[in-house]
Amino acid sequence: MYRYDEFDHALVRERVEEFSDQVARRASGALTEDEFKPLRLMNGVYLQLHAYMLRVAIPYGTFNSRQMRRLGHIARTYDKGYGHFTTRTNIQYNWPALTDLPAMLRDLAQVEMHAIQTSGNCIRNTTTDVFAGAADDEIEDPRPWCEIIRQWSTIHPEFSFLPRKFKIAVIGAEKDRAAIRTHDVGLQIVKGEDGGTAFRVFVGGGQGRLPHIAQEIASAVPAADLLAYLTAILRAWNLLGRRDNIHKARIKILVASVGLEAFREEVDKHYATLRHEDLRIPEDEAARIQAYFAPPAFETLPKTSGPFDRALLADPDFARFARNNVRRHRQAGYASVVVSLKPVGGVPGDITADQMDAVADLAERYSFDELRAAYEQNLVLPHVKLDEVPALWRALHDVGLATANADLATDVIACPGLDYCSLANARSIPVAQALSKRLADMDYQERLGPVRINMSGCINACGHHHVGHIGVLGVDRKGEEYYQITVGGSPDEQAALGDIVGKSLPADEVAPAIQRTLDRYLQIRADGERFIDTVRRVGPDPFRDAIYETLDATA
Amino acid sequence: MQRLEGIQNGLRLSVTTPLEEVEAAAANEDTLVLEFEAFRDGRGFSLAAVLRERGYAGRLIAAGKLLPDQVRHLRRSGFDAVELAPGADASAWDRMGQAFSGAYQPAVDPAPTIWQRRRAASNDRDLDALADRLNRETAGKDASEIVKAALDPALGLRVGAISSFGAESAALLDIIASEDKTVPVVFLETGQHFLQTLSYRTQLTKALGLTDVRLVTPEAGEKATLDARDDLWKTNADACCDLRKVRPLARATAGFNALITGRKRYQAATRAKLKPFEVLDGVLRINPLADWDGDDVEAWLDDNDLPRHPLVEQGYRSIGCWPCTRAVQDGEDTRAGRWSGMDKVECGIHLGRRQVAA
Repeated sequence: MYRYDEFDHALVRERVEEFSDQVARRASGALTEDEFKPLRLMNGVYLQLHAYMLRVAIPYGTFNSRQMRRLGHIARTYDKGYGHFTTRTNIQYNWPALTDLPAMLRDLAQVEMHAIQTSGNCIRNTTTDVFAGAADDEIEDPRPWCEIIRQWSTIHPEFSFLPRKFKIAVIGAEKDRAAIRTHDVGLQIVKGEDGGTAFRVFVGGGQGRLPHIAQEIASAVPAADLLAYLTAILRAWNLLGRRDNIHKARIKILVASVGLEAFREEVDKHYATLRHEDLRIPEDEAARIQAYFAPPAFETLPKTSGPFDRALLADPDFARFARNNVRRHRQAGYASVVVSLKPVGGVPGDITADQMDAVADLAERYSFDELRAAYEQNLVLPHVKLDEVPALWRALHDVGLATANADLATDVIACPGLDYCSLANARSIPVAQALSKRLADMDYQERLGPVRINMSGCINACGHHHVGHIGVLGVDRKGEEYYQITVGGSPDEQAALGDIVGKSLPADEVAPAIQRTLDRYLQIRADGERFIDTVRRVGPDPFRDAIYETLDATA
Repeated sequence: MQRLEGIQNGLRLSVTTPLEEVEAAAANEDTLVLEFEAFRDGRGFSLAAVLRERGYAGRLIAAGKLLPDQVRHLRRSGFDAVELAPGADASAWDRMGQAFSGAYQPAVDPAPTIWQRRRAASNDRDLDALADRLNRETAGKDASEIVKAALDPALGLRVGAISSFGAESAALLDIIASEDKTVPVVFLETGQHFLQTLSYRTQLTKALGLTDVRLVTPEAGEKATLDARDDLWKTNADACCDLRKVRPLARATAGFNALITGRKRYQAATRAKLKPFEVLDGVLRINPLADWDGDDVEAWLDDNDLPRHPLVEQGYRSIGCWPCTRAVQDGEDTRAGRWSGMDKVECGIHLGRRQVAA
């Protein structure tokens, strides 16, 4: 993985000092709150309902055991002993004191971490496939390009005061495990005409109040020209995007209002006059960055593993974990292991400081010291020997992290909601917890197979409800928390927005209604169909009927 | 980045003005003031960057609601100065202006980026080896073959050329054009050239079919500060060359890691050891004509029927800016007419950072 050199270290240190200066000017009154706010946001500092919140970047979700231990240290020292992994593969601390923030940032800087641009109207943390560098269907590891984008976008002179936030995701395979088409810009690595690396570029995706699926604006931008092309896109939007209405400021609204063709013309005009030679990514620089992401020293192993196979037979719980949380690896004899942060009745994405330490130890011992944060709010140990998966599983089990529900119905994405967030209309955590308890039976979940259930506490859609196979959106109805259900959304290469099925439900009706939806699927599915396949085949109507069949029509 | 007090002269436009209108208006203005109505409205940064990249060389001033924390954004987007409200905290502007020792991404300002500094650090070694190899491989070969070797795509070099469009320039440009007419050619438009040089530049560009001749001007803000009356050459020729040539060249060539020049050993004692390939400040310098003399140039121009610089027939043999160039007598050195009467033989663009007065 990437390691800081003297320049990266200096920049992060200087950023901490700059922020300290800004905090001092706020304290003295030299900066008004209105002026200070965007500056603190660009350093990851939010003001929530009850306290400040610090959001720490985990660039493209890749980190190591030393960094994970430091995250645990921060949770223990400055917070209430836990942290929350987000759908942007960042981690949030919900209870820091404002006066501790510079110390927290200094602690992070020592392990090559920061909170730069985790919020604010700037280019945010670039996300990617959680199995990057391990998946067997990948053309190329997308993470070096994410790192190049990270550096290019950090404290960008032109793009730090944009109309609104801007999110980029990159994948290196046909299969989309990073929801790129829900992003302002989604990038898919493809082979260019000359056989070199190129990017298929999608633009104008986004969730929130007015969701859009990104459209393809370019089929193969040569890798060397990626930054020039991104600059042209951002420039077109920065100059033409709306600034009069926060809900219409994202690039998705601009693309939708002028149309893809007109937007492409605008981008092409800027692209034509850019200083390409400056922005061109030299092959040697790309190679230098790629070298950091070279595969670890894998052993040559047989495809199958005796210890693994014996454990499958010996222990049904391990067998279940292996079925659901262990993923194929490109290297024979290895696997990627999903560490679910969705225990029954737990808060999705939350992890305690002790668990962080434990996972750090396990990554060091079993996964070449490498960890990943998934946008589904789970962790992944990317490179584990099949021989050692049983031992890893037992160790995870001991610290309460062996929930075998990856991609199943209780692997729910949920935002912090009204328990923490000042934007929320409704709580999402208790509803997710209730659902998790209701669907806890693992046999039932396995019978259902993969289902993505996503939950947001407000229309800002941090919980990705629009693209959940089943989505739940918290709304405020005359001071009461209600929940709107959508069906048929999808975050992957067949990205789609879910259909709203009808009137919103009170909190305690959500879990039963979802269970009826899933039961209906079990009744009507054809052989081999996943939940989403059935929805695509039959449409939302059967599920609407299931959701409302026992409810008073006026509810 | 200058800080200015009080309302500045010049056309004032809000950053909410559409780009096309800003561009049209700027075309006729030496000074443009862009007014930020809210510090959050970042359109001004893109407007400045686009104007600069499309060649606007006038003065750009930022005004309105801005924070000291935006000073680097302004500078790096192409602003020369900022108009401060009365009572603004100048010390905060100073501190924020110096808050960072580097920036990753290339932008309009000339300071080398972190990327370039990394490359220079790692390239120096690699480029030295490459230069040695190319010198070996091209030993005994002619200028065309040296240019061809430098343009070999397998090397992955980003190659540009610099030319003064002077008395001997046509030979090198002809050799380059016969290999690749799209090679970027940088011309330092110092604002002090002979008119004959400018018309010759147009004539030669057309005759050779060069498609990417770039005129590089001094930075407007620096020029306003250092030489507002265009007479710096009278008192400090080194500073004038630095403002008009050394700094603009560094800016214009930041994206190249290889530069073709027309320097020749016979021209000056400082050039006596010139090799076809050498490394200067992390950039490969390619000197295809290193072993040519005046007669070789003459012969090439004759054989290829190339247009001559109009001043040659008036006795000029090496041609720079008009204040520091004179004709030479028969028997004098070719470059005797450059900075004549001064202890100066080079403008500095071929000396490297460490040897140039700051």
